[in-house]
Amino acid sequence: MAKLTLEPIGTPRERALDETTYRAQRTHLEGLNAALRAKRDEVRAGWGPEYRARVEKKGKLSTWDRIERLKDAGSPVLSVGTLVNYGRVFGEERKSSPGAGVVTAFVRVEDRWVVAIANDNTVASGSWWPQTPEKIQRAQEIALRLRLPVVYLVDCSGLFLPEQAHTFPGREGAGAIFRMNALLSDAGVPQIAGVHGDCIAGGGYMPIISDVVYMTEQAYMVIAGAALVKGAKSSKITSLSIGGPDVHVHLSRCADHRVPDDDALLTSVRREVAKLPGSACAYYRYGAQAAPPRHAPEELDGLFPVDHRHAYDMREVLARLTDHSLFHEFAPATGPEMICGLARVSGLYAGFVANNLALTDHPVHGGVKRPGGILYRDGIAKVAQFSRACNDDGIPIVWLQDIAGFDIGPEAEKEGLLGYGSSLIYANSTNTVPMFTVLLRKASGAGYYAMAGLPYAPILQLATPLTRLAVMEGRTLAIGAFNSKLDDDFKIVAASEREAAEIAKGMEAVEARIARDMDPVLAASQRDVDEIVTPGELRLWVCSAIEMAYQAIGARRVKNPRIFSFHDLDRLIR
Amino acid sequence: MFKRVLVANRGEIAARVIRACRELSIETVAVYSEADRDAPWLSGATATVCLGPAKASLSYLDQDAVLQAADQTEARAIHPGYGFLSENAVFAARCAQQGIAFIGPTPASIRLMGDKLEAKRTMAAAGVPTIPGSLGALRSADEAAALAERVGYPVLLKAAAGGGGKGMRRCDDARALPRAFSEAALEAHHAFGDPRLYLEKFLEGGRHIEFQVLADTYGRAVHLGERDCSVQRHHQKLVEESPSPAIGAAASFGYVSAGTLEFLRDASGGLVFMEMNTRLQVEHPVTELCTGIDLVREQIGIAANRPLSMTQDGIRFSGHAIELRINAEDPDAGFAPDPGLVTAVSIPASPGGGVTVRWDGGVAAGWRVPPHYDSLVGKLIVHAADRPAAIAAAREALSALRLDGIKTTIPLHHRILDDPDFVAGTYDVSFLERKALAAVPRG
Repeated sequence: MAKLTLEPIGTPRERALDETTYRAQRTHLEGLNAALRAKRDEVRAGWGPEYRARVEKKGKLSTWDRIERLKDAGSPVLSVGTLVNYGRVFGEERKSSPGAGVVTAFVRVEDRWVVAIANDNTVASGSWWPQTPEKIQRAQEIALRLRLPVVYLVDCSGLFLPEQAHTFPGREGAGAIFRMNALLSDAGVPQIAGVHGDCIAGGGYMPIISDVVYMTEQAYMVIAGAALVKGAKSSKITSLSIGGPDVHVHLSRCADHRVPDDDALLTSVRREVAKLPGSACAYYRYGAQAAPPRHAPEELDGLFPVDHRHAYDMREVLARLTDHSLFHEFAPATGPEMICGLARVSGLYAGFVANNLALTDHPVHGGVKRPGGILYRDGIAKVAQFSRACNDDGIPIVWLQDIAGFDIGPEAEKEGLLGYGSSLIYANSTNTVPMFTVLLRKASGAGYYAMAGLPYAPILQLATPLTRLAVMEGRTLAIGAFNSKLDDDFKIVAASEREAAEIAKGMEAVEARIARDMDPVLAASQRDVDEIVTPGELRLWVCSAIEMAYQAIGARRVKNPRIFSFHDLDRLIR
Repeated sequence: MFKRVLVANRGEIAARVIRACRELSIETVAVYSEADRDAPWLSGATATVCLGPAKASLSYLDQDAVLQAADQTEARAIHPGYGFLSENAVFAARCAQQGIAFIGPTPASIRLMGDKLEAKRTMAAAGVPTIPGSLGALRSADEAAALAERVGYPVLLKAAAGGGGKGMRRCDDARALPRAFSEAALEAHHAFGDPRLYLEKFLEGGRHIEFQVLADTYGRAVHLGERDCSVQRHHQKLVEESPSPAIGAAASFGYVSAGTLEFLRDASGGLVFMEMNTRLQVEHPVTELCTGIDLVREQIGIAANRPLSMTQDGIRFSGHAIELRINAEDPDAGFAPDPGLVTAVSIPASPGGGVTVRWDGGVAAGWRVPPHYDSLVGKLIVHAADRPAAIAAAREALSALRLDGIKTTIPLHHRILDDPDFVAGTYDVSFLERKALAAVPRG
């Protein structure tokens, strides 16, 4: 890529921030990160040691131990949907369902990224709760779009029946999992299933549509368990006797192989994955090698101001996500409130779109500065063109959002921001290149949409503990709601002090409600973000996501850099 | 693990497999021909199915009948024993097609090792020494002659698809070669439908050494020591050398289950590969007594995708074992089969004091040994601290063994055990012929 030179970006942390500020920011975020880690641990513990012991007593591994044995030693587990159903309880007994009773994660197996979908056998024997089907389908969708092999580790006693009305009938009801199984199969995405234990009712379709099915000696698959079979007790029928490996491996041929235990099953699944084509990443690096950023990614945990209204330098963030901290900025002089450019991540080309939060010059009115984190005309046009070019060239896009929204007011309307915004929305909606969205901090209004928020179908949407996802900030919404009681400067106009106090109280209540809504944990619990990660973990996630995007050779068009459209655009815009 | 295993064999090996299954709490289905209707080993099985008439091709070799029996009895695995269908790749493949676990290697391995030329090439590629000669089929008699000059006469011409001496010719000089070549090719074509020949240097004398290997479906393999089969029927010596190339070779083509690599040890002590048997060997108890490992149980576990229960480091070889095959044959009448009614059976027990006596049998008093099958009626296996002790214990056990009503190889075994050369350990594969202890038919 001779003509597109990647240039150094970022400054050493000591020069970017004074020590006191850095420490204070880091301490603040560390508190939030610790709270997040505690929640993850809570989910990971399932229903606790008692249930884990129950699993182990049966000679089975717990689900997390299975994941551990499945993956390459020393490789990370990138769990998605960890906090789904967090804080929610179900049924008359008000039961919790950590992680919705299923682990969905990206793991490396034999040097290939795979999507693992594993029922959590320490949560009600892996039964399906409200949102469990949706969580599984989300993982399947990611696998389908990235052409990643799927490994199912099945240990599922069926729907959690008290909540069946929320999991059975709808468009994303349990049956849609099997539809996804079929679509994956149709698209030629490899699916490998290991049945470790119960696999009752519809759950049976999930492994059976898979290409290869392994069963342990204590696994069974049945349309209905022995409990529903008339006369089962007197004729000594058990679920294992009617649906165990003796029947399904040898007689019905619904499964392919029987193995003694979980360990042998996981070894066998690894060997199946090893038969698949290897990762194409090395090829698409075009001779380059993966390299860490020059500026430590862990420093991202100290770069964000304590007050969410304060700005920070987005280039310092980019410098901590990109290989060697090298970046090629696209059209830097136009729409400077937006940063677009190319970098290598794990040696692979990726496009980045990020908000510049600093004050920038108004393009027409000399001497006028405008705040960043807002979409203005030129920036929108630049982003739309960048997004289209990435899609043309097959370069995956990483969106880094810290966006308050579109510019508003007479100038914005006169310039036709609605039209420019529509162009960007069109580009993002029709892109086929993989997009990954990170809600670094603010994700408000149409800005969230324009920068490939979840409704625009990014492969993955990540949040941080700092994320504030809402249609607008609480203060703004309160102003909107109490507009008739406010003057031009949004000061309360009231007949009496009592009335003024009531209005102020009402506005505070609105703000508090929005603040609660903006909690990323709530967003994660209702699947509005796929996972919350700490800023320090972002580099790992971005690297992994880009590797996944490039893994399947031939699945999408990725051009070589000599024929990138950026190659030409670089000549035209400078 | 399997709930029910069908044992597709007869005699002592059927009894042996049934015992292993019982120890694993697996039910067994014994199949039998009309000639074996009241055979003693059938009583050990959970269920029995008659396959058909006495003739093996209509019973024990009838693949449809065996598969049908497995189906109707809901047996999910078949142990083929040795002989009969044990090295039949098509049968193994048909089992797989029907969802029945074949307790043995994969069809591909059976086929590969069944083609003697392919087997040799595979082993050579894995770094195992092979007998000097051709690694590919010979295109002409001239090519054979040129090669024979290089390796030196005498040479053997062998059929690639061979077995049983068909299509095999020994040539002692260049003059005999052209004729031997055309005869052997013709014979091979008639016998196997495949005229391809290859050539090997003929090694005189030498000892027949075989290595037992076990491999699981996870690519792990171990060797369980060597057996010396130089005297037509059997004694075992333990050598501490590690036949690692043998394991490497088995692993190189994905071998699974129990198998035996046969080598010839030449005068200089070097081992050269002869062939691989992709089944349980008749003489497997020798290995079992020296290692304490139950090969049949391991085979069954491997077929259920269990990992090997041992590692190479954990295998300890102890003592010395000798197996004596007891055949219903008259050793003084050219080993003529002597079927008939067994009137009394007396089996020696282990005397203690570090000596183990094991009887793997398929006879009982009141049973008539049928004439239709191999004449082996049982195996006496003796294990003791060392070779002299094992020979002494074998003599004693043999004296206590009684199979009345039929002629057996017991007297011959007495003569072998008393032979000074045998006792001294100086013998080779031509031992019986040379010593004229019995009239050994060649063929």
